[in-house]
Amino acid sequence: MKDLKHLIFFENLLQEANNDLVKKAQGEGKKALGYTCYFMPEVLLDLPGCFSVRLRAPRSGSPDMATYYMSNRTCHYGRALFERALEGGFNFLDAQLATETCTVTCRFQEHLGRMDVIKNPDFFVEFTDVPFKKNENSMVHFRKQLQVHVLDVLHDKLGIDVSDEALCKAIEEHNEICRLITEIGAYRKLDNPPITGYEFQVIQLVTLTCPKYLILPYLRETAEELKTREPEPKFPYRCRVVLAGAENDDPDFTKLIESCGALVVADRHCYGSLPGREAIVVEPGQAPLDAIARHYLNTSYCPRFMPQGEMRGRKKYLADIVKEYKADGLIVASNKFCEYWSYERTMDALILPRDYDIPTCSIEKEYVNASTGQLRTRFQAFVESVEIKKLQEAK
Amino acid sequence: MRKIRKEKKSCSGCRLLRVLCKLFAFLAAVYGILFTVFFFDLDGKLLFYVVEPFLVKHYDKMERRNPLDMPYDIKK
Amino acid sequence: MKMPEIKLPKPSAITAKLKEAAKLFPDPRDVKLPKNGEELKKAAHDFWYGKPHEERRLGDLYVDKTGLYKHREWRGVKDTFYYFHMIWLYNYANMVADIMKFGGLGIFAKGLWRYRWMGQTYLPVLHWFDRGLEGMRGEALRASAWHYRAMVCVSINQFMNMFKADAKLHNGAHNEAWKHSMAHKETVWGGVFYPWSDQYTNIPMEMIPYFVTCHVNNHTVLNYIDAVQSLGLPGDPCPMCQAEAGLFVLDDMPDYAPFVVTTNEACDGSVASTAIQDWFLNIPLFALPQPMQFDDPLVQEHCANEIRELWKFIEEQTGAPFNWEQLKKKLEAQNELQRFEWEKWDVAAKTSSYPINGVAQALYRIYQTQYGDHYIWHDTDRRVKKILYKCVEKKIDTFPKTRHRVIAWSCAPLYYSHWCTWAYNCWGLNTIINMDSLMFDMEVRTDTLDNCVMDMARYHEWAPMRRMAVGGLHHIFELWDYMERFNCDMVMMYDQLQCKGMQGVVGLFEDEFRKRNIHAIWMPHALPDKRTVSRSEIRRIINDYMSTVMKEEPLDPTLLEFDDDMSW
Repeated sequence: MKDLKHLIFFENLLQEANNDLVKKAQGEGKKALGYTCYFMPEVLLDLPGCFSVRLRAPRSGSPDMATYYMSNRTCHYGRALFERALEGGFNFLDAQLATETCTVTCRFQEHLGRMDVIKNPDFFVEFTDVPFKKNENSMVHFRKQLQVHVLDVLHDKLGIDVSDEALCKAIEEHNEICRLITEIGAYRKLDNPPITGYEFQVIQLVTLTCPKYLILPYLRETAEELKTREPEPKFPYRCRVVLAGAENDDPDFTKLIESCGALVVADRHCYGSLPGREAIVVEPGQAPLDAIARHYLNTSYCPRFMPQGEMRGRKKYLADIVKEYKADGLIVASNKFCEYWSYERTMDALILPRDYDIPTCSIEKEYVNASTGQLRTRFQAFVESVEIKKLQEAK
Repeated sequence: MRKIRKEKKSCSGCRLLRVLCKLFAFLAAVYGILFTVFFFDLDGKLLFYVVEPFLVKHYDKMERRNPLDMPYDIKK
Repeated sequence: MKMPEIKLPKPSAITAKLKEAAKLFPDPRDVKLPKNGEELKKAAHDFWYGKPHEERRLGDLYVDKTGLYKHREWRGVKDTFYYFHMIWLYNYANMVADIMKFGGLGIFAKGLWRYRWMGQTYLPVLHWFDRGLEGMRGEALRASAWHYRAMVCVSINQFMNMFKADAKLHNGAHNEAWKHSMAHKETVWGGVFYPWSDQYTNIPMEMIPYFVTCHVNNHTVLNYIDAVQSLGLPGDPCPMCQAEAGLFVLDDMPDYAPFVVTTNEACDGSVASTAIQDWFLNIPLFALPQPMQFDDPLVQEHCANEIRELWKFIEEQTGAPFNWEQLKKKLEAQNELQRFEWEKWDVAAKTSSYPINGVAQALYRIYQTQYGDHYIWHDTDRRVKKILYKCVEKKIDTFPKTRHRVIAWSCAPLYYSHWCTWAYNCWGLNTIINMDSLMFDMEVRTDTLDNCVMDMARYHEWAPMRRMAVGGLHHIFELWDYMERFNCDMVMMYDQLQCKGMQGVVGLFEDEFRKRNIHAIWMPHALPDKRTVSRSEIRRIINDYMSTVMKEEPLDPTLLEFDDDMSW
């Protein structure tokens, strides 16, 4: 396939949290607001006058200083973020809008608040309490939390306009991003998609880490480009897989899977687009904040949700994605020391093959994947087993 | 008659005394045994070397349902 | 006719066996007879009053590796016979009486035969007393033992209730007891079920099969950890949650109730492992969430509403209406327990007459507050109150060999909860208070239902392993205030290697300890799993700190090193 026009540009944007577009937006006087989790609605951080940056620690090495603070028995992602903060990589942040949604990212954000890590005298950390259910009580609670701990704080501390008009504008911009990502992602449902999983992940990640208004023109152009992009004459992969699991902001991990012959056709993980890139619908007469609060609770399939229907429904959701994207198998990857996904992955690996006949590969990985040799062996074996299954079914 | 009665009386007293003595001896023996069990941790030793290994063997041999046969009803 | 051959063991084998057996008992050659009047007088004194602390040589009493005793400790006539009568005999007798009272021997035997956690754990319960009460004397022995007795009674009550209702022990039949039981995760506070407590029994699922077993016989839980890992779960999540899930994998959870209530307390692992439990339970489930940012006044209403939702769910499931009067009655009873706990803390903080040792304080408090009101807690508190008052009035120094007043912070090793007994006997480290005891530090108002529910929400949010661990780092650093309040000069910093919340804060603690010049010993452990850090490894770490940093000599050198790897 012909290279995407902006792919290298996008890749370069992912080399640093403080990338060129972030610098440009800050140069224009906009405030940079960090966050780590889907439960902190990025749309609220993209109000006029500020922009969201979902934190990553690209090109991380060994997080030695963070390991002193958080030991080597915590999620590598949380430690890598903290290491990056200690190195000064997040000094551009004006605030961190935090959530206590998983333990180690919570601890990372608490350290930002407690220690003088971010060299910005006005920097602050504000926590929002996120409910564990999707019932009406949780919706009301979440809305209140977002009002008090996000909107009021942004207004009072940073002078951000948080009026309904401003919210509607942010929703509009956000929805355009979602529409474009959904449009681009939908190509992956084709028998021979004109986009790889790697390319898609790069595009999805830039939408999370760059100011929306600055990335949108590139995204529009890429969406246009894909309309006419010719795929390889023959499907160049041996099978199609869905990549699910915990935090994953590493396109090289997807590249590794694809280099073993499995095209990643869907991304159901913390930094993925499924769920995450659904448009926010504001019903007539509904307050925009109410729509946002409901949207983020309703669309999430995080293993943090506790009700019985939610726990069980997550398996069905995953199976539906596999079916919708015509995948031959599923790779569930969780970061070592991630409590939520350790269990979720174990159950996915047992239930999806048994109840949905979906071949599943269960992988435990680090944030920085040094052991690519071992992973490659696992993926190659999985691809072979999927191929054998397909052959047997063909007979 | 009086003599006989006296003898009888002393006899029943003796018997009672003897019963009490026996009871006391029995209780003392039980107490002594219990104290020995307590002091030399014989209860612990019995449980550690005999009862627990026996029960563990039993539990290890028990037939259990295969957890993976358990259905997972999505509609709950 | 050929006679069957009888194989007799060789004489040498019999001799070897006898020699082995002899090692289980004291060697008569070790008995030193007094040689002169002075020695005779001393021997008589030791016989009557027990040996002075420094001469006890408690480590010599152990049978190698097993933790069994060649003979139980001679504590002087008064305390030995107190132990024999009021602890050993009394508790064995009361265990039988409790079993009879709560359901009978038949169902007990069935349960014992069916469940590993039952048979393997609850028979050696008196050894649990022994380990926790080693070296104790006088009022400290008495008060601590009453705490143990209460925990045994409640445990028997719970497992007998489970067995009476258990369909697995009744050929799959769902009897009346089953219909009148409410199952919940052990981390759901029992108080939320009070409104139905006159008709229905709430029974925590894992409190007996998991939590208590770890303390009594730490071998049992390993089966459950291995079971859940056999499904493919990695070894690094919290071992408590692993074991709790493993019970279901091994089909060792009684089927005793028609519905279950779960919670996110204490951590991510509890939420995640519930998914496995739900799979194998397969009954209606209500998730009772507790907000994370509990200092935020906005979360209280949300939490209170969830409790109300739970009550609606229970009403739907049972058909029995919410009973406000019953709730009030039980909460008031529980408040009474809390008030006495505050008295205890006061004595512990301000005097050297606190008669409860570290392990009894920790276990009783966490058990009582988490399980909820029960008549035995009141009985026990009445007895302990008498002892406590006596100690204060007579200014009895209950732990006279105290060199350091220790506060134990974070969550404790369940397989070595009695480390504090050892630490006092060996080094004079007296554990005054611990983090889990300080959790539910409040009374619940019963004037109006609204106030009551708001307080219940708060109470629930302050649950063990949670009050200090979530909702902001400042909670966990309340340690400094408590150190001062309880007049402690040393911290035993539990280092639960698989607790992400606590691991995520180790560096800041190190910095603070240095800055404040506080003596803190980090005690690594893996909650129920003794294979990660053994008891002897824990002792070695304390020994090293005490000898190299504190430059102190042990009170009882025989306790420095011994092998109890196979012990319960």
